[in-house]
Amino acid sequence: MIWRVRHTTGYRYARPVDLASHMLHLTPRDLAWQRVLWHRLRCTPEPARISHSRDHFGNPVTWLFMEQPHDTFEVVTEAEVEVVPQPLPRAADTLRWEAVVQAARRDPAAAEFTFPSPLLPETPGATAYAAACFPPGQPVLAGLLALNGRVHRDFLFRGGVTSISTPVSEVLARREGVCQDFTHLMVCGLRGLGLPARYMSGYIRTRPPPGEARRIGADQSHAWVAAWLGGEHGWVDLDPTNDLLVSTEHVALGWGRDFGDVSPLRGIILGGGRHSLHVGVDLRPAADAVDDPPS
Amino acid sequence: MNPLLPPPDSGAFAAFDEMVDGQGRVRPHWRSLLGALSDVRDHAGGLAEACRRLDRLFEDEASALLAAPPADGAGHWRLDPVPLPLPAWEFALLADGLRQRARLLEAVLRDLYGPQSTLAAGLVPPDLVFANAAFLRPVRSEGRPSLGPMLNLYAADLLRRPDGSWCVLADRTSRAAGVGMAQENRLMLARTLPGLFAGQAVRPLRPFLDRWQDTLQRLAPATREHAATALLTSGARHPLWSEHVLLARELSCALVEPGDLTARGGLVFLKTLRGLQPVDVLLRRIEALRLDPLEFGGSEGIPGLMDAWRQGGVAIVNPPGCELAESPLLGPLLPALSQYLLGEPLRLPAAGSHWLADPAALAALRRDPASWLLRAIHGGAEPVGPLGHLSEAQRHRWLLQLEERPRDFVALREPISSVAPAAQGDHLAPRPVLLRMFLLQDGGDWHVMPGGLARVPAIGAVPLGPLPQGGLAKDVWVLSEEGSRIQGPAAMPRPPLVIRRAAGELPSRVADNLFWLGRYVERVEGAARLMRAALNRMERGSLLPREMAELAALSAALRHAGLVAAEDVPTGTTSAALQAALWRALRDKGPIGFDLDEVARLVERLRDRMTDDMHALFLLPLRAVRIQAEARHRGLQGLEDVLAGLLRYSAGVAGAAAENMVRAGGYAFLDLGRRMERAQTIASQLGFALDQPASRAEGGLRLALELCDSVITYRSRYLGVLQAAPALDLVLADPGNPRGLVFQFQAISRLLRDVGGGPEQALLPLVAALEHRVADMPAAVQAAADPDAAAVALAPELAALEREIAALSGAMSRRYFALLPAVQSLGGEWAQPVPGGSSE
Repeated sequence: MIWRVRHTTGYRYARPVDLASHMLHLTPRDLAWQRVLWHRLRCTPEPARISHSRDHFGNPVTWLFMEQPHDTFEVVTEAEVEVVPQPLPRAADTLRWEAVVQAARRDPAAAEFTFPSPLLPETPGATAYAAACFPPGQPVLAGLLALNGRVHRDFLFRGGVTSISTPVSEVLARREGVCQDFTHLMVCGLRGLGLPARYMSGYIRTRPPPGEARRIGADQSHAWVAAWLGGEHGWVDLDPTNDLLVSTEHVALGWGRDFGDVSPLRGIILGGGRHSLHVGVDLRPAADAVDDPPS
Repeated sequence: MNPLLPPPDSGAFAAFDEMVDGQGRVRPHWRSLLGALSDVRDHAGGLAEACRRLDRLFEDEASALLAAPPADGAGHWRLDPVPLPLPAWEFALLADGLRQRARLLEAVLRDLYGPQSTLAAGLVPPDLVFANAAFLRPVRSEGRPSLGPMLNLYAADLLRRPDGSWCVLADRTSRAAGVGMAQENRLMLARTLPGLFAGQAVRPLRPFLDRWQDTLQRLAPATREHAATALLTSGARHPLWSEHVLLARELSCALVEPGDLTARGGLVFLKTLRGLQPVDVLLRRIEALRLDPLEFGGSEGIPGLMDAWRQGGVAIVNPPGCELAESPLLGPLLPALSQYLLGEPLRLPAAGSHWLADPAALAALRRDPASWLLRAIHGGAEPVGPLGHLSEAQRHRWLLQLEERPRDFVALREPISSVAPAAQGDHLAPRPVLLRMFLLQDGGDWHVMPGGLARVPAIGAVPLGPLPQGGLAKDVWVLSEEGSRIQGPAAMPRPPLVIRRAAGELPSRVADNLFWLGRYVERVEGAARLMRAALNRMERGSLLPREMAELAALSAALRHAGLVAAEDVPTGTTSAALQAALWRALRDKGPIGFDLDEVARLVERLRDRMTDDMHALFLLPLRAVRIQAEARHRGLQGLEDVLAGLLRYSAGVAGAAAENMVRAGGYAFLDLGRRMERAQTIASQLGFALDQPASRAEGGLRLALELCDSVITYRSRYLGVLQAAPALDLVLADPGNPRGLVFQFQAISRLLRDVGGGPEQALLPLVAALEHRVADMPAAVQAAADPDAAAVALAPELAALEREIAALSGAMSRRYFALLPAVQSLGGEWAQPVPGGSSE
């Protein structure tokens, strides 16, 4: 499956911004099951300086530095990404979850994702919530699928009631939130058990309602969970918002310990006064794309 | 009996004695020092006197540097007159071990911020890295400068064990604080007891500082002929602020705060009056997490600094991330890491510490908890213990925590440090000592400072924590080998500096602070003059109608200046309310108290711009005046004394500044502030003085002369005949009267031209226009049919002039001082996501 993604982030400032620095996690990364065919980033106003690198997790990062006064700022990223299904073991064939906990201690790359992180401190409630899906001896993937379904059933999707600073314990109490909240909750609970879990940042396709054209720009940044099955099977992606195993309908930008590591756009501005933000994501099959890819 | 002394004849106490060997003989390297100390006792007034002199020197130093008194109430650092000598062979042994340790720690950092092969090999537990807030992921981004070392400076806290061997208690890799203090201790000791050094082959510290300075130069990008180095501090509130000031001075670095710097185009600049000046090397004394808000969060720091560092646009010493090597978990791992990374056995051991994730270590602690110290492995948590010294409840709480999460703690047995003699009265008494030593990397080789910072830990203090804010320190003498020559580093050729005479390089923040310092000092003086004029009239008891009118004018001026309230203004014959209001104005919460607070705050922020003498002149009399103002003895006489004190203060400060500060440097801004404020005050006060009916013009003119301190000059020129035009000429237009208005405008024009840099082009015409208006006033009065009526008619014009001068001052601020808009962070919001709907 080849996807065309277009992601627009725009800020409008009440007063001019004199100086701005932005750090972007807006470039999809190459993975075993995902290949970036092309990618481009446009920014207005023209930045005085652009740097590119890869962060500690291997995600592509871009920095933009603006040195002229401006009262609007817009970044548009476009990419074409080919996605193939991730190979999955049968749940019953995966390790007992306790064995995964043990293996993670010996595997530094997995161990990193067992520790608390800035936005996800140890939360006993989340651990207890996750533990219900992991009785002793439970194969790890069976437990993960159960938890994925449980979050989907127990929580109501509702925008605007939470923010980046809402702690997992509060999400747990409210039983509502957005995909970032559900991902945080599940990651936090798995880590509480000693299971490695990553926060995945990316996009998901929204299917059009029957008989209607798809809603361009209605999609948004998406988030889901990657959990570790042990050295042999590696990582598996689970989407608790939709109770899905990730297959070919997700495009990953990158991962981190929590939202803070892969925030799509972060900035420090001087001046600006009050600001308003608009974000639009459009993910559609490349075959449907109206314009041609850049030459 | 001194509580710091060990219990006598305690069998358990087997501390190594630095001075005396097992047979009770004085060790050879102490012999000549003891001789010199007994000379001190016999000839230099004794040890107790030496202690007193040292204490006084350090107190003066602390107040001169405005070091905040330590929060723990322990007092500032004191210096023991007895140094700690180290023989050459012992220093060589220690230096060898420390150099290896520095190399090893650098290799560990390089690996953990690079390939992480030590993690993969299982030599380092993931907890040390991934659960540790000191592991900075942004430092591990691709493109980190591979050329630069991960560690330039290193300090180790050492102690000598009962068997005489040294061991490392803690590694200091982030800032390695204390070099400045060690150098200061040496200078103070040499100043107080010069005789102590006679005939001793003590290795000097200066060559190490020279090498440090050269090393900083070498770290700059090769393209730069002369590197600009800056010491980055969080400011005067930093607990080690005095050390920062001393170091910046010793290393010839600019002393800067994050707000002074900006990153542009992958380079770092200092914001100065002339514009942006490049900075090549930052000696950072602040936490890495406060360097760049874009990558480390928060709102402090310089956005883009990490980008500039990654590009090699600026060198940071020590590089961000090196805090990781301070992890207490690293100590027990170093023997294996030394074999793995260096292929050598570890030469200098660490105090035996154990990670409690090891069940055997936990079991050992359980058996006998009393003698153990604890360190949490993540976060900068203070060490705890020894557990035996804690209360039952506290110990219980810690033991519970240990059982619950043993992986979070490292434990070590309470170390027993060696003892060395310290002065106690006129005698010597053994005290425990800890030693901090400093190392510097100079393009590959590590160099050890031939000296260090020894300190006597307070009883019950945990010797593992960061450097306390105060305590008893000792100079460390590294003795040189007989006949050896002491060599400093080869002098590095430096290109000649371009000669500069203007103020352009002054950071905008500093110029801004100087400008306001000038304004506030002058504001205090103007207020004191006004209050004294009112006071003179109150003292006369029953007032004549003329005096009543003058007092009314003065009261109006006092109200306008915000010094008294409407209800304080005398209405009848009593002025008791006014007198009480003047006292209130002078006290801590009053308007003048506020101005004096501002003066003290600005002096504090300008500490690095003043010599010690200047600084003392600005600050010490200020305290005396404030104490006077808070005194219980009120009354008119007391009030007069305080006002006289304030006037003496401002005159003293003005004189000191004029005599000591380079004209085009900071002085121009200090004086600009002063002139601007004085011009405003004169216009305002004359406006009120002349606000009289024409029949009382003479009283108004008399008051005008008095407020401008020009009575005597007038009398000598005109022999007491008071007329409007000559009086107004003296206080307004005479360019030779430093208390007149035109004088201020001419001074402002001259100062603006001195400062230069461009903005003066726009400001000079504004000043000239004001000057001409004022200069023309007396002639107009002279020519008028009724000069008295023309004089009092100037009152509203002078009031308008005051507002225009204020506007000029605002225009000047905007042109010269970068007005920094507020910093905001973006990206904290979730953009109202909508769920993916594929399963529905």
